[in-house]
Amino acid sequence: MKPDAQDILNKSADQLMGQLAPALNAQYSQGAAAVMALLMKFAGKEYERGADIRAAENADMRALFAEIAPRVGDKALRRRLEEAASSRDASLTISALNTANYKLRHTLIAVQVWTEDNGTREDQQRIWTVLKASADRRIVSLF
Amino acid sequence: MSDALSERLAKYLATKLNAPDLTVHDLARIPGGASRETYRFRARHGGTERKLILRRDPPASLIETERSTEYRAYEAFHKLGLPVPEPIALELGCEALERPFFIMAEIENAFVGSILAPDPYGAHRAKIGQQFFSILGRIAGADPKTLGISDFEGASAPDQCWKHEVERWEKVIEEDEGEPQPIARAAVRWLKRNPPPPAQKISVVHGDYRSGNFLYDANGDIRAILDWEMAHLGDPLEDLAWAIDPLWAHHDPSHPAGTLARGDAIKVWEQASGLKAEAKALAWWEMFASLKGCAIWISAAHEYATGRNDDPVNAFSGWYCLAYHNKVLADRLGTLA
Repeated sequence: MKPDAQDILNKSADQLMGQLAPALNAQYSQGAAAVMALLMKFAGKEYERGADIRAAENADMRALFAEIAPRVGDKALRRRLEEAASSRDASLTISALNTANYKLRHTLIAVQVWTEDNGTREDQQRIWTVLKASADRRIVSLF
Repeated sequence: MSDALSERLAKYLATKLNAPDLTVHDLARIPGGASRETYRFRARHGGTERKLILRRDPPASLIETERSTEYRAYEAFHKLGLPVPEPIALELGCEALERPFFIMAEIENAFVGSILAPDPYGAHRAKIGQQFFSILGRIAGADPKTLGISDFEGASAPDQCWKHEVERWEKVIEEDEGEPQPIARAAVRWLKRNPPPPAQKISVVHGDYRSGNFLYDANGDIRAILDWEMAHLGDPLEDLAWAIDPLWAHHDPSHPAGTLARGDAIKVWEQASGLKAEAKALAWWEMFASLKGCAIWISAAHEYATGRNDDPVNAFSGWYCLAYHNKVLADRLGTLA
């Protein structure tokens, strides 16, 4: 489908920032329009990468749970990890990926809490590897 | 801008200032953060004109704070001689302008440094940095009792400052998170397990002292420290850590606030405050600063998503700032694991 959503958002943002915002005569409106233009740029980037970020994150968390589950002494948590590890994304829509992502992140918090009290340093570091990768992927670039 | 608002404002000020002939002109909303509506206007009476600023509560406030806090902080530090706008009037009722508000003097011919600009202060960066960290030191060194604001919200004992603040912001995360936040949650646990030493003293903490929250002029002189609405009592290192947080460093964390080298900034603060920024304690408060940032941005995203406050700055905070602070925390905590 052409033009791409990212292209539409980028060009609209450029017009809003470069032509429309300066024509507004109220300082607050000019500022708000400039921020909206920036948000449109962000949304364009998110359109391109949003599904990929979430799918990668979900895959990372499932792999982590499969790896750690055998070492988790808490039976209920171990079962939760095993179930989460074998779950699948229902579809590639952002909403479906988010639903799975939030559920997996809740499980990640639970296993991290358990690991901080009962796990090995290696498992703690492994969890942080996943979290750092997530934070890196989600950084929003201004440029 | 609404004539009705101008008329109501004029009526209020005419009574408040005992100036029956007072009229309001050129009322216009200006950018001033997402947590208060900010307007510039001119008040004329008795042949004189004053340029003033109105700060009014929005229908929903980003961070729920005691409404009089910002105004009282301006009063206290204006008397102390710090560069803050002169406070004119505080109104906590809703009769005059539908929502609580306060009025202060406008600082003319002054600028705000955008946090997105790579080098907002240019040739004045060292001069501005010297003032920026020196003023913060003076705030830290001041006595809340002498200032008349020792009843501000906050911790009352030096060994409780850290706990009070962590619990405050953990509650905000719990109430406002729209999605699970594993990094922020891990930060809260780390902060609780590794408490800092007690505060050297109980100080007034500005709460949002950073690049972008002060006005400076063409000569590189800081004319006003703004946005005191999160002021409270606590550990003075809290403000220093927030001021040197990488989000406010204009893409160069080695030069906090886009001004001095980090070590020089801390020295200026120590000299002005008479306090020490011990490395381990400051590192704890720096971790806390990024967690507090996460909480504020989570709250901003919540306000926007729920329609309580649709200022686009809230959406920007929920995306850009939260992702930024999540990364700062993940890098710091991941190294410690």
